[in-house]
Amino acid sequence: MTSMLQSMPKPVKIRLAVVTGILLLALVVPLLPLADPIAMNVKQRLTEPGWGVWLGRDEYGRDILSRILWGARTSLAVAFTAAILSAIAGTFLGLLGGYFRGVVELVTVRSSEVLLCLPPMLLALLVVTLLGAGSGTLILCLSILFTPGYVRVVYAETLSVRMLDYVAAQESIGTHPARILLRTILPNVTAPLIVQFSLTVAAAMVLESGLSFLGLGVVPPAPSWGLMIRGARGTMDQAPLMLLWPCLALSFAIIALNSLCDALRDALDPKAHGNALSAGRSVAAKMSNRLLPGLFTARQEKIVLAVRDLSLRVTAAPHAPDLVRGISLDIAAGETVALVGESGSGKTMTGLALLGLLPKGVECTSGSILFTRRDGSVADLLSLDEAAMQAMRGDEISMVFQDPGGSLDPVYRVGQQVAEGIRAHRDVNAAVAKAQATDLLRAVGLPDPEQKAKAFPHELSGGQKQRAMIASAIANGPRLLIADEPTTALDVTIQAQIIELFGELKQRDPDMGMIFVTHNLALVAQIADRICVMYAGEIVESGPVAEVFAAPKHPYTAALIASVPEGENERLQAIPGAVPALKDFSSGCRFAPRCGLAQSDCDKHPDLRETGKDRSSRCFHWKEVA
Amino acid sequence: MIGYVLQRTTVAFVLIWLVATSIFMVLHIIPGDPAELLLSQGGVSPDPAIVADLREQLGLNKPLPVQYSTYITKVLHGDLGVSLQDGYPIVDEVLVRLPRTLELILAAGLIAMAIGIPFGTLAAVRSGTPYDRIASTLASIAISVPVFVIGTLAVLVFAQILKLVPAGGFVAFSEDPVKHLTLLVMPASTIAIGLAGILFRITRNSVLEVLGREFIRVARAKGLARTRIIIAHALRNALVPIVTVLALQLGMLLGGTVLVEYVFNWPGLSGYLVRAVEARDYPEVMGIVLVISTIFVFLNLAVDLLYAVLDPRVGQSR
Repeated sequence: MTSMLQSMPKPVKIRLAVVTGILLLALVVPLLPLADPIAMNVKQRLTEPGWGVWLGRDEYGRDILSRILWGARTSLAVAFTAAILSAIAGTFLGLLGGYFRGVVELVTVRSSEVLLCLPPMLLALLVVTLLGAGSGTLILCLSILFTPGYVRVVYAETLSVRMLDYVAAQESIGTHPARILLRTILPNVTAPLIVQFSLTVAAAMVLESGLSFLGLGVVPPAPSWGLMIRGARGTMDQAPLMLLWPCLALSFAIIALNSLCDALRDALDPKAHGNALSAGRSVAAKMSNRLLPGLFTARQEKIVLAVRDLSLRVTAAPHAPDLVRGISLDIAAGETVALVGESGSGKTMTGLALLGLLPKGVECTSGSILFTRRDGSVADLLSLDEAAMQAMRGDEISMVFQDPGGSLDPVYRVGQQVAEGIRAHRDVNAAVAKAQATDLLRAVGLPDPEQKAKAFPHELSGGQKQRAMIASAIANGPRLLIADEPTTALDVTIQAQIIELFGELKQRDPDMGMIFVTHNLALVAQIADRICVMYAGEIVESGPVAEVFAAPKHPYTAALIASVPEGENERLQAIPGAVPALKDFSSGCRFAPRCGLAQSDCDKHPDLRETGKDRSSRCFHWKEVA
Repeated sequence: MIGYVLQRTTVAFVLIWLVATSIFMVLHIIPGDPAELLLSQGGVSPDPAIVADLREQLGLNKPLPVQYSTYITKVLHGDLGVSLQDGYPIVDEVLVRLPRTLELILAAGLIAMAIGIPFGTLAAVRSGTPYDRIASTLASIAISVPVFVIGTLAVLVFAQILKLVPAGGFVAFSEDPVKHLTLLVMPASTIAIGLAGILFRITRNSVLEVLGREFIRVARAKGLARTRIIIAHALRNALVPIVTVLALQLGMLLGGTVLVEYVFNWPGLSGYLVRAVEARDYPEVMGIVLVISTIFVFLNLAVDLLYAVLDPRVGQSR
């Protein structure tokens, strides 16, 4: 128990301390030197606060402070008793229903759900009608009210725990169900039970005070906050403060309980919330709006995109190595560059950075992304503000994402979603955009495009969804299309069709540059002109696809190629180890720990060096790579 | 789609039948004779002759199945019986008071939506900022403070001290529309505070969850404006949980306005119910509970059907 307390996060501890304080206070009330809470003294009714009667006296001359403290005792006693009783009953029924299912489930779970069909206050009033007002009725009534809540929570947890292997294992060795329920399943439902319990105590206090306020709960003259508020209402014009004290006490107690409950829930059910909307754009890089002279003469072709020395890092870890370091990349009009690497190599982050869509917590620290716009002007994307970047996204640069299922908004028709992207950038009316959307769906090879435009995403297959996403991406005739593993989530046969579609798109718009992010080398050979191999946030080799495949100049590239299944007799070679985590990036060559060619000089960090015309490698020993 | 509508509607009617039957059972299963219970207030044993009279009047002498079928037939004909206290038909009183309660709930719901949804959305968009933290804390407090505490304090401040509005009461809209609305403001706002807190929370959490989904990133990649992404995509997708919670809460209010109606002397259905409970007038309590439960079930039916509109995936069995 002590260790459990220590492991609790701070917010829980603070709130737990407050609630425990309230409980302790209620427990020691009889020991405190307080006036009798029910002793009337009509002569002194409505006495102002003063020495000894710190909060004054009420309409019957009773000491208010004493009544508030004793009232806490009443409220908490009723609330806790009801919460414990309903917890026992609800847990029992929920466990039985969840474990045995069938008829037991019908009787326990479904019947208690009927209770949930009634508003709680109504149910309480019904019980009070039958049994008359009083603390006993109150407890019974609250217990009945809160039992279904426990049943539901425990039932749901039991169902999921029951599916776990070790429960099945126990069943198979013939352990008695009672033993499984108590020893195995009950401990597993403890966390949600604790949350439910604190919820119930708070709700019980609210209902208790409410019923007492109506005169249908605690019977006078017993002290209760609800009753005190009821009484003070009558003398509001003479003694407004008298109304305030029980209101404050009640509100404070419930706020304390509810906030403990929230903190407990957060602690026991931790859900990290990402927020894709407020992505961080680089701060440092915004200032670096410098053009690199001579850049565009380096190569013959018309350059669409020139990334120079791009570095990304995790904002929360300023001292950790960069997530992506010193990426430089050129894409000519009509050229397709494959960005290849294992998961964790930083290829997706690089793609997102080009669109200014880095997730929260990742920022650009240096570099420039020079982009040739349709009108021929060149802009550094990192220096554009959000509005300018927004105008660029989906118009001149667009992206196709990995998971077509998640990429479409489930509540809009497919055609609407394509049209939406058109209308964001072109001044056309809804009908024109809709017609264009249908044409695009036809262009990407969707069968029956008119009907598909009216369909909702869930009515399309995975491959059809990805076609729709591609239609949306090319809607405004982008200069650059970034495809981030567009086929990974699809069946192999569908993959081939989508790759074919990308090939057709390139034929149709020969000026469109494309970055194809993938870990699949077989696809690279089919689609790309050039390849950039990434490892642990760095480009380790680049060059024309055919040349690199024929003669890799970096051991990592060689290993990747060796791991592609080709002939039947050839043995597949897996690369030993895995891409290191960010904090484990070595200060020398990042691939050295997994490299067969690693030598002593590999503890120095290698730069990207030219190994031939249009080819480069980040390896000291590139000549030795076979 | 039609199958879905039929299925939900059937479930709703079965539920109402279950509720009606449970109410009937409760009346007959509880220990002791309802007639005797009713008359034995204050611990005095009632006169056996009067008890017998009442039993006759309530039809308690007939066999249970006969009583049950009589009860169900009457309910189906819209007859909820008569009050034990004054012999007045219960349906008539319900029809007078129900609209007042519904008006109160509707007004409170509109106020709460106008506050909770926009502020909740903003909190999700700015999650983790001081705005989010302050607004979330305020929402927690609004949820925690019991409604009759808010109501009582509101009367104290706005009626007693500032004398801005009357402390409570009711004037029919047809009589004096302005006075009617003036009297509506405080009780409706009192209910709306807690409701706004709940709506704020569910909106914040749902929108935040949607903002983390892939299609939001895609929407940004399309170059859509930020406000459009937030409203047309994030909030639109968050509507299903928001509507669910709103409907559930409005349903809860059908019985939950008891305290507010009491505080502000609003002569709605709940006041009638409290009076019936105090007098232990069984037919009245049963009748009102049945009416409220029926509305509650139909409200949930309406929500189920609304789902099919809000989320195209619902109701398409695949």
